[in-house]
Amino acid sequence: MAPHTSPIPPSRRTFLTLTGISTAAFALGTGAPTHAAPLSSRVPADPFRLGVASGDPTPDGFVLWTRLAPEPLAEDGHGGMPQRNITVEYEVAEDASFRRIVRRGRAVASAELAHSVHPEVNGLDPDREYFYRFRAGREISPVGRTRTTPSRRGRTGSITFAMASCQAWYHGHYTAYRDMAEQDLDLVLFLGDYIYEYGITPANLWRQGTGELGTAHAAATITLEQYRLRYALTKSDPHLQAAHARAPWLVTTDDHEVENNYADEVSQYGVGPQDFLRRRAVAYRAWYENQPLSKTSLPSGPDMRLYRRVRYGRLAEFNVLDTRQYRDDVPSDGGTPGGEHTDPQRSILGTEQEEWLYQGLRRSDATWNVMAQQVVMASIDRNTGAGVTYSMDQWDGFSANRQRLFDTLTRHKVANPLVLTGDIHRHAAAELKADFTDPDSATIGTELVTTSIASDGDGADSDNLAPIWLGNPHVRLYNARRGYVQVEMTREAVTSDFKVIDHIESDDNGKVSTAARFVTEAGRPGLEQVVGGAQ
Amino acid sequence: MSRKPPTVDGLSTQGRIGAIDLTWELTDWEPLVDHYAIHASHSAEVDLSAETLIGKTVYGRFTHDTLGPEAVTRYYSIVTVDAAGRRSRPSRAVAGTSTASMVVTGTPIAQVGEFDSKSLELALAPSGGQSGYRTAFPNGVDFTYGTSDPARDWSYLHPGPSDAWGGRTRHTFRLRFSLEEEARRLGLAIWLIDTHASLAGTATISVNGTEVTEVEFRGGGTRGSLEGDATVPGTALRPSFVELELPAEEFAVGENAVAITKNSGSWHAYDAVGVFALDQGR
Repeated sequence: MAPHTSPIPPSRRTFLTLTGISTAAFALGTGAPTHAAPLSSRVPADPFRLGVASGDPTPDGFVLWTRLAPEPLAEDGHGGMPQRNITVEYEVAEDASFRRIVRRGRAVASAELAHSVHPEVNGLDPDREYFYRFRAGREISPVGRTRTTPSRRGRTGSITFAMASCQAWYHGHYTAYRDMAEQDLDLVLFLGDYIYEYGITPANLWRQGTGELGTAHAAATITLEQYRLRYALTKSDPHLQAAHARAPWLVTTDDHEVENNYADEVSQYGVGPQDFLRRRAVAYRAWYENQPLSKTSLPSGPDMRLYRRVRYGRLAEFNVLDTRQYRDDVPSDGGTPGGEHTDPQRSILGTEQEEWLYQGLRRSDATWNVMAQQVVMASIDRNTGAGVTYSMDQWDGFSANRQRLFDTLTRHKVANPLVLTGDIHRHAAAELKADFTDPDSATIGTELVTTSIASDGDGADSDNLAPIWLGNPHVRLYNARRGYVQVEMTREAVTSDFKVIDHIESDDNGKVSTAARFVTEAGRPGLEQVVGGAQ
Repeated sequence: MSRKPPTVDGLSTQGRIGAIDLTWELTDWEPLVDHYAIHASHSAEVDLSAETLIGKTVYGRFTHDTLGPEAVTRYYSIVTVDAAGRRSRPSRAVAGTSTASMVVTGTPIAQVGEFDSKSLELALAPSGGQSGYRTAFPNGVDFTYGTSDPARDWSYLHPGPSDAWGGRTRHTFRLRFSLEEEARRLGLAIWLIDTHASLAGTATISVNGTEVTEVEFRGGGTRGSLEGDATVPGTALRPSFVELELPAEEFAVGENAVAITKNSGSWHAYDAVGVFALDQGR
């Protein structure tokens, strides 16, 4: 990294005035131009132990991320950093050896955000590869690779992306990320459950070779220092770091980033809303601190704007959804026809997000209209005999909301709806039907469900839930191993590879294979089986 | 960087058996509170040290539990720690006193397990209940004080009708014991290391086949099915205690049985159960 020849640093007030950087942006580490912040000379050794990342790509830039943590597992959650601010420099180059540097800048890492920085880089060329790295004091980070998206009117031919979710660190090794980091990806979509809030004890520590963890990890995460520590533990995994450094990520949360099955301000564990929102606030803060998110996602108290839209030219528009923060509480029925779960007032997205989504879908001219979200949208009857039973945690618990979405898709002839989902720790693929009780009704979209990266350990191709899922005729795949989904998207078709790993608990040497491959042709929603299929 | 977060105000205490509940006023959203650090001391001078730190939370309440069956007094002070690691001045110290349990005020007649905030000495503990209960206890629990073995004959986990692993039915745990003389006042102590958080449920208490009352359990942490020691620092277990006087007229000299039938909700996890004579306090 070229030496920086800064003049005598101006006072903080002068600097802010001169650079036009808002106090908030400065304090939150979202970015400042070169020369804006004084350099830090005293930085603890080896501060980049949690790696680097990029995310939220645009046609002219992206968000960069790192968090200084020379002692990632320090129990106070501050990663071994002092309370003072540290200036972090970053460089963006067109080549991995940093001969053609196109951007330099600085951001301030503060204790308020666990010494994370989220500089937002812009002014770059669309649809091209870049490399980045950070420096703090004399310490230089690993190099990350990232990409800008095509220009809004760009006619990009194809993109390749991966889907990931549910990575309970304690249930196994991140072998899926080992494989993912070896792929040539334009994007990684993370669909929720990046951490789990549960205490890590001998009963659930299935990841072998970790050694003693200590009592600080044994309790459920409730305080900010506990959430920070859990992220540090999770992000200390080298395969996860490699996957983050390989491509830009587009991330969203599900429930376990806060608490199992929470709904807006309602805990399912008897904690009142006033108290639970305090937990949600620190959980959201720790999430932001550990992800490559733009400042629009910076939480304010217990609130965080997570739903957003990323466009890949005219090829695809990704609508990243938040189905936890605004949802109505669990209904009183378990799927009784006409029960509370069908109440037209119920919403899994909340009024504002619903309107934002429908408006975006109506206006979209993209070939593929993607909804990257958390819980299964297809209706899944869990009763293999007479009668019906639904999961009230998934879209089945909000059937009127699903119908409003489907009405929007059909009424406005939204092109090629593609729903990307996580949550269930199983690979699944489903056709979204106009009427899920009528197999002959029109297929109006396609849903790809990625299994977990680690949650539930080794797994197996099939298990006792397979007959339930495959008993629904619109479900075309069920596989209960760990893995991820790799998707190649062109103007003509989406090809989805459902990758599985033979084991993850004992070590990270598991063999990766493709359990199934489906093709969805543009203009023909549904799933054409190429390899594998129902397991 | 140096501005301290606000000091906690409105700290108050409420004692009950084995525990003291603390509540206080939540501070503003900014600066974001990392946690409230709760310190407890035997004296009104609360030393803010690692030794006196009994817990951390982001909530505006905290239960100092596992205090044991004796009535005890503790003094509490709270420090606010913000997201940057800055610490507030300590709150005013406030005293709280727990209520004495019949476990110490009464005389034991029959007892299963130790009243020690642990389920570990009971059958299937600490985590084998959901997988092993129906095999080990197909007809519920039938325990005879003096001959049965807690480690073999009393399941730490009592399933409720909401539990699929328990067959979605009522289960009865019966404690048999002998009275050598006519009872005057008898009490039942049910100490739990944890309950289901939102489906703690209710149980019917019967004496010699006659239903005498229904008790409602306090919501817990939904971890007691997997963990058995509520004294571990930072545990997610939330112990609770049910103690009630039983109608003396239902007892007889000779063999007697007290039965606990879970008739709604999910499981509860035992610490210990005992029948005590209440008129011969020690």
